Amino acid sequence: MKKLYSNKLVIASLILPGILVFVFAILAPICLSIYYGFTDYSGMGTATVIGFENYSKLMQDKIFWKSLWHSALLAIGFICIQHPLAMIVAAVLDKLQGKAEGFFRCVYFIPNVISVAVIAYLWKFIYNPDFGLLNNVLKALGYTGKINWFDSKIAIWSVLVVLIWHGFGWGMLIYYTGIKNIDPVLYEAAAIDGANNRQTFISVTLPQMKSVIQVNVTMAIISALKQMETVYLLTNGGPGNSTQFTANYLYQQAFKAFKYGYGNAISVVFILICIAVTILLNIIFSEKGKAV
Amino acid sequence: MRAEKRKLTPGRVLLWAVLIAVAVIQIFPLIWLLNFSLASSNEMFTSGLLIIPKKIQWGNYVKAFVDGHFLQYLKNSVLINGLAVIFVIIISIMAAYACHRMKWKLSSMVKTILLLGMMIPIHATLLPNYKIYNMLKLTDTIWALLIPYIAFSLPQAIFLMTSFLDSVPIELEEAAVVDGCGIYRILVQIVTPMLKPSIATVSIMTFLNNWNEFMMASTYLSSPKWKTLPFSVLEFTGQYSSNYAVQFAVMALTAAPAVIVYIILNKHITKGVAMGAVKG
Repeated sequence: MKKLYSNKLVIASLILPGILVFVFAILAPICLSIYYGFTDYSGMGTATVIGFENYSKLMQDKIFWKSLWHSALLAIGFICIQHPLAMIVAAVLDKLQGKAEGFFRCVYFIPNVISVAVIAYLWKFIYNPDFGLLNNVLKALGYTGKINWFDSKIAIWSVLVVLIWHGFGWGMLIYYTGIKNIDPVLYEAAAIDGANNRQTFISVTLPQMKSVIQVNVTMAIISALKQMETVYLLTNGGPGNSTQFTANYLYQQAFKAFKYGYGNAISVVFILICIAVTILLNIIFSEKGKAV
Repeated sequence: MRAEKRKLTPGRVLLWAVLIAVAVIQIFPLIWLLNFSLASSNEMFTSGLLIIPKKIQWGNYVKAFVDGHFLQYLKNSVLINGLAVIFVIIISIMAAYACHRMKWKLSSMVKTILLLGMMIPIHATLLPNYKIYNMLKLTDTIWALLIPYIAFSLPQAIFLMTSFLDSVPIELEEAAVVDGCGIYRILVQIVTPMLKPSIATVSIMTFLNNWNEFMMASTYLSSPKWKTLPFSVLEFTGQYSSNYAVQFAVMALTAAPAVIVYIILNKHITKGVAMGAVKG
């Protein structure tokens, strides 16, 4: 029995495919990125090793810092706008029961299964100054001006709206599951104590949802950091980098500006930031969990 | 109906208003998309929110279907995503079992390393992978998509599989060992059937993650041979840049398969996503 479970050959054969995929698709590219990050490679010709020059340049690169700031803004938008709304909707949905519950749950989640390509182009049309939905809505409300939603001053907000809109169903669904998992006995106890809906929400639902909120907040921050596809299609970081995000920026630097080496240096720092943020969030939340 | 018996307090009305307002915000853009896709481009410049087309322009969809290479790209999407799901399930069950049940020194370290992939941003590997696939002549092949799709779905899959392995009673396996089963047979005949719920979750998560992916696809592919569904939209905007109605049609058409499948499998997908997200 024990022999069977510690047969080295069997273990190797089971674990090897996973290791191979990891090495080939994740580890090797990262190593290659680290190498190219130290060079001035343009994408063609030869690569010369230039040490930490890319990295010192990166530290002073205002656009890079701006792109991180945009991620922070997006994370704040997720946590302060999307999540409270998602939680309230989830709590109300939980009380509905029957057909209405299933219907609304389905409606909220549909944007999530639609391709980012469709979503990005759809919103380009919604923001279109000539026949766009948004300006028409404003017109119906009595506002007659034409707003250019991708003006460099407000473009970032337009982008944030799309991202918050698109991710709403996902966040809602997770809160909804969390609420469904709360023991109904707690609600009965609250009802016996004469608590109204709002009191029940604050003193039963919210505390019970703590771990779900932590998971959701972690995912929101990470996905804000990793954002690329919607921005790439919607504005490609423009106008004038006013909607730039890190992943999009490194892509542009490598393939548009022909600074492949610099792009890889950004990749390396980007990976480090993502790992650091993930670990940090886990530490913060696990310590908070212990304290209570 | 219980709801009707309750009193209509201002609070209740407000909650319903929020519920409906959010639903309208989430779904109206899609209704607008559908509506405009059936009109002609000239009719779009109205001040109303929706248009009542003089004649329903089914022709938009015919153009979208034919010129958007809809069938070919749909076939590619289904094939690539299907294969990715199968590979992810097999590899993750094997790896999870090796790390969780088998007895060896490095098991927990290897598991941690494999799970590390969850923290790596996909887009940071775009540049070096492009280089690697170029060197190995893998660009424009199915592998250029399959490998990264598998790799970035694998960590979460392994995580889910290991957490579900705990619920598979070890006594069943022990009985099988006494009957003379080898590890491989135990894995195929006993463990895998017990893991059904997590296999469903992993399939749904893998599908949702990869179905709409286009960043890697547009970096590693240049010929239409393996292009996936999002490319119907991406290529169309250049080709029909002034014919907006047809662009709306192609967007509605490419969104349709996922939306239809979602509506049919609504309950299962909801469960799968919930399980995947809460455990992951």
